[in-house]
Amino acid sequence: MKLKINGEEETIDRETLTVTDLLTVKEVKMPDMVSVELNGEMLERDTFETTSLKEGDEIEFLYFMGGGMI
Amino acid sequence: MPKKDAELETKLVHGGFEKDLETGASNVPISLSAAFAHDSAEQISNVFHGRDFGYVYSRIANPSVVALEQHVNLVEDGRAAVATASGMAAMAILIESLASVGDEIVSSKSIFGGTYYLLKEVAENQGITVTFVDTCDVEQYRAAISDKTKAIFCESIGNPKCDVPDLKALVSVANESGIPLVVDATVTTPYLMSAKALGVHVVWHSATKWISGAGSAIGGLIVDLGHFDWRVSKSEKIATLAKQYGLLAFVNRCKRLRSNKGAVLSPFNAFLLAQGFEHLAFRMKAHCDHAMALALFLQDHPAVESVAYPGLANDEGYPIAKQQMRYGFGGLLSFRLKTPKMAYQVVNALKMVKNLANLGDAKTLVIHPASTIYRDLSPEDQKAAGVYEDLLRVSVGLEHPEDIIADFQNAMEDLV
Repeated sequence: MKLKINGEEETIDRETLTVTDLLTVKEVKMPDMVSVELNGEMLERDTFETTSLKEGDEIEFLYFMGGGMI
Repeated sequence: MPKKDAELETKLVHGGFEKDLETGASNVPISLSAAFAHDSAEQISNVFHGRDFGYVYSRIANPSVVALEQHVNLVEDGRAAVATASGMAAMAILIESLASVGDEIVSSKSIFGGTYYLLKEVAENQGITVTFVDTCDVEQYRAAISDKTKAIFCESIGNPKCDVPDLKALVSVANESGIPLVVDATVTTPYLMSAKALGVHVVWHSATKWISGAGSAIGGLIVDLGHFDWRVSKSEKIATLAKQYGLLAFVNRCKRLRSNKGAVLSPFNAFLLAQGFEHLAFRMKAHCDHAMALALFLQDHPAVESVAYPGLANDEGYPIAKQQMRYGFGGLLSFRLKTPKMAYQVVNALKMVKNLANLGDAKTLVIHPASTIYRDLSPEDQKAAGVYEDLLRVSVGLEHPEDIIADFQNAMEDLV
């Protein structure tokens, strides 16, 4: 499946993939703390397991440690 | 780490912390470091931009504090949480996150004195108009809301009046107006009431009280319970942030204010409060049992005019408390003697019970609210908050209930 992750095009060797799966595959640091934006929409954390990704999806992994660093 | 569907007691014990990745420490390490070093200019820049995980400066985020935020978020089943320097810091951040100059807030009258001053003086100095309404009169809340109102505030059990608002009804009022209901659940704690199950939008705690459980650490906790769509918030600054942060906009606004104002929780206090969570369930059961025993004793005492405790079947708050609470009715009660002089006499004659301005300690605590916490309120405002000259507030502790009752019995012996 081809995805755009943090602005870079990548191919993940899976036919089906949830957001939780992607966090594992990509070995995302501190997965309990990451926020995930899918095609410009911030996802609710409790939907990570049920949100399936599809070809061409754009995903951003973001950490809002202090509500945006200031 | 407990399973997602684990029981509340299990989540309270374990929180979201598995172990320290480097040392295997099973308790959250106390990260007493103001700032955090990085390997390269690129890395710290990525952390600043949110592209990489990491800590920068403890006013912005600190590992011990973040662990506590994850702990409370897990037990409240929230969207995200923010820990603050104190309960008052939490409330000040909540007010400022939701309302600006020209906005309005509707608040229950039956609230902690510090919260009242914050709303009455500090918020009003910021150009925010606060309308106080009867805690249990749902129609008063509805009538007080205007198109400038940005939030409704109340306590899950009024301190010290011990009245109980119908939170499901207030959620409906808030939803009708598209504004959040913000509930101070200090007295009910995450254990005795699921604010999320009632539909409450934001819950906050003075963690200093029953969450600490030992009267040792000052702290506050705010949890976004996930029911509110901040993308359509009437609060201008949150709506703007939502364009970038979506549903996390409210928590981000709170964290920004916390950082800008420096109202951060110390890592040491975060550790102590996390320890408090571990045994909260078992402590709360005992607080409830002991408070009920003392309430029943006081209710039958000839020197007592009235007792306010939502666990008493004849208490006005009992029917709602029974619906909203679980496992018990909390550790807070208040009672009226027949004269103000008698109230002072009881405080002065108590031998074990401590006369001090706190709640939720393992020790039983008593105070005369009218002459202390609420001293600057007008007589009318005191009455509205349920603060009478002959009223004593008791935070019932974990000593053997017979010893607690015996201390009050001896202190009240000469009054009859």
